Amino acid sequence: MSGNGSNPMRPFIGRLAGIRDVATGIRLFQVEMAETEGQAAAAGYRPGQFAFLSAFGAGEAPFGLASGRGPYLEFAVSALGHVTHTLHGLEVGDPVGVRGPLGNWFPMEEIKGRNVVILGGGIGGAPLRPVIHTILDNRDDYGHLTILWAARSPDLLVFTDEFDEWRAAPDTEFHVTVDRGDENWSGNVGLITQLLEQVAPQIDNTVTITCGPPIMIHFAFLTQQKLGFTPQQMLTTLEARMHCGIGKCGRCNMGEKFVCIDGPVFWQYEIKEFLEGFL
Amino acid sequence: MKFVTQDALRVWLDQLAQEVDLVAPRDVEGHVLYRPVASSAGVLFEYQRPEMSAKDYLFPATEVLLQIEQRGKEMTLEEIVPERKQVLFGLRPCDAHGAAVIDALFLQQEPVDAAYRRQRERTTMVGLACPRMWEGCFCTSVGGAPDAADHLDLLLREVDGGYAVQVVTEKGAALLAGLELQEKKGEPPPSQADGEIVPVAPPQAWRTLFEDEMWQRHGERCLSCRICTYVCPACRCFDVVDRVTSVQPGLTCSERIRVWDACTSTNYRRAAGGHNSRPTKPGRIRNRFFCKFCYYPEDFGPLGCVGCGRCIVSCPVDIDITEVMRGVAERSDG
Ligand SMILES: Cc1cc2nc3c(=O)[nH]c(=O)nc-3n(C[C@H](O)[C@H](O)[C@H](O)COP(=O)(O)OP(=O)(O)OC[C@H]3O[C@@H](n4cnc5c(N)ncnc54)[C@H](O)[C@@H]3O)c2cc1C
Ligand code: FES
Repeated sequence: MSGNGSNPMRPFIGRLAGIRDVATGIRLFQVEMAETEGQAAAAGYRPGQFAFLSAFGAGEAPFGLASGRGPYLEFAVSALGHVTHTLHGLEVGDPVGVRGPLGNWFPMEEIKGRNVVILGGGIGGAPLRPVIHTILDNRDDYGHLTILWAARSPDLLVFTDEFDEWRAAPDTEFHVTVDRGDENWSGNVGLITQLLEQVAPQIDNTVTITCGPPIMIHFAFLTQQKLGFTPQQMLTTLEARMHCGIGKCGRCNMGEKFVCIDGPVFWQYEIKEFLEGFL
Repeated sequence: MKFVTQDALRVWLDQLAQEVDLVAPRDVEGHVLYRPVASSAGVLFEYQRPEMSAKDYLFPATEVLLQIEQRGKEMTLEEIVPERKQVLFGLRPCDAHGAAVIDALFLQQEPVDAAYRRQRERTTMVGLACPRMWEGCFCTSVGGAPDAADHLDLLLREVDGGYAVQVVTEKGAALLAGLELQEKKGEPPPSQADGEIVPVAPPQAWRTLFEDEMWQRHGERCLSCRICTYVCPACRCFDVVDRVTSVQPGLTCSERIRVWDACTSTNYRRAAGGHNSRPTKPGRIRNRFFCKFCYYPEDFGPLGCVGCGRCIVSCPVDIDITEVMRGVAERSDG
C-alpha cells in the first residue's frame, strides 16, 4: 500500500544510499527505506509501478521505479523543474520521502513463454530496466528478447553501463539509436520507429512494451500496427501530471480512467477505448 | 413535529459556540458566506444561498497535510489532527449533498482520504431548508430539494414563530442536548420546489457527444478563471505542494499543503517536458462537464453536480451548466 499507516498521503521516510549520473541531467537515486512499514511496501514492488519521491520542503513528484537487483528502490530522475532540481542537489545520506509503490504493473507472469520486444525512449527507459532484469534473471521463462533503446542524443541514453550485459545475454538482441549523433557516435542515427522497421521482430507469440514520451508511444504504436502487431500484443505506460497517485486529486484522468490507478500500464486495446486521447 | 423558538435556537447556538468550532452563514461586507462564529450574534437566519459552498470546512482550500521538520539528516513528519468538534449550522441542503458527492470518492473509494475523514468525523451538519429555490438553482433536477434532509444530520425548517426540527442521524440527535424542543401538532409545510426541471442525460448519452461542436462553442468563451470549480460544492481536484516555513541553523521546518485545483486552468495537463494533452479551453471545459455527468457517476456513483447554481451566477462569461445539460439531452435524443 501507499503511504504510512492509515494516511496514504504521508510518505515513508527513506535515506539516499547511492547517487550516480546515468545520462546528462539524469541521476539515479537509490533509496533505503527507514521505517519497517516502508520496507514492507518497497519489498512488494513490481516492475511498471511508480512512486512519489519527496524532496522535503520542495515537494514530491511521481517517477517510474527503475530498481535494479540490489536492495534499494531506485529512481532515475531527469532535472526539469522545482522538485527534480532539488532532488539533484541532495547527497548520499540525505533523507527523502517515498509514497508507493503505486499503480499497476507489467503482466510479467501472463507474458511468460512469449517473445518480448522492448522499446525505451529517453527517460522512458527507467521503468523498463526492471523488466529487462526480470527477463534476463528468468531467461528460460520468456522467449526471444529484443531491446530497442533510443534517445535524442548519445549523452541522453540511460543505463549505458548495462548495455554489454544486455547485448551478451542469451537469446537477446540489443539495438540502440539516437535522433542526432555526435563526433564520438558511430551507431544508428534515426528514430526508434525506423529502427523497429529495420529490425522487424517476429510478430507471432510476441508482446511489445513501449515506454517513452507520448509522441513516441503514438508513433511506435502506429509502426507496430503496420508491422502486424495487434492491440492485444502492445503494452505501454502512460505519463500524466499527477498529484496524488491514488485516484483522488483528479489530475491524471483520461476520460473516466485514471492513469495512476487504472495504469500506468495499459494494453493498446484499452487505450483505444479511452474517450480522451493521451496525446 | 419538534419545534424550537428562535430565542431557544440562539441560546443553543451560543452554547455550541463555546464547545465546538461553529460555522454559520454571515453577512461579510454584503456577501453571504459560511464563516466561523463566536456566538449567535451575526448568524443569519434569512438568506438565500451563500456565495461559496461549505466545502472549505471539510476539504479546506488550503490544508496542511504534514508538518515537516528536518534536523540535520533526521526527519519528523507530523499530521495535523483537528481536536475540536465542528458544527456547520444553516447549511443549505445542496451543500450537504455536495459533501456526499465528495464522500463517494474520498471515503467510499479505497484508500480513504485521511485528512478528509478527520474533518468529516468531527463535523455535524445542521441544515436550514431553503423556503424556495433561488436564481440559478436546479437542485430538484439532480436528486435534491430545497428542503431535502438526506445528507444532513439535523434539518430545520422555518415555521410560524420558530423552526421545525427534524433529526436525521444519530450524530444529529447527539447534538440536541441543550436545545429546548417542544412538541407541536402538524408538520412543516414543504418548501416551494418549483424550479424548472433540467434534463440529466445518462453517461452513455454524454459519451456519444464527446466530439460535438458544442464544446467549441462553450469553451471559446471560457476565461479559464476557475471560479466555477471554486464555488462548486462537489469539485474536488487538488494539488499538493511544500512550503518552507522557517530555516534556522540545523533545523528546517516546512509544510506539505494541499490546495484546491481546477481542471479548467490552462496548464492543468502540462506534464514534464512541456507536453499538454488537454491544451484547449473547449477540451478542458468538456472535461469539467464530463466529470460531473459521465465520469463521476460511472466511476463513483453520484452525479458530480448538486444543482446549487453557483457556477451559473458566478461565471463572468455566462457559461450555464443547465444550457449544457439541455444541449446534451437534446442532441443525444436525436
Ligand atoms: C507515472 C509517471 C512516471 C514518471 N517517471 C519518471 C521517471 O522515471 N523519471 C523522470 O525523470 N520523470 C518521470 N516522470 C515525470 C516526473 O514526474 C516530472 O518530471 C516531475 O513531476 C517534475 O517535477 P518538478 O517539480 O521537478 O517539475 P515542475 O517544476 O513541476 O516542472 C516540470 C516541467 O514542466 C514545466 N512546467 C511545470 N508547470 C508549468 C506551468 N504551470 N507552466 C509552464 N510550464 C510548467 C516546467 O518548466 C518544467 O519544464 C514520471 C511521471 C509520471 C506521471
Ligand atoms: S494522480 Fe491524483 S487522481 Fe491520479
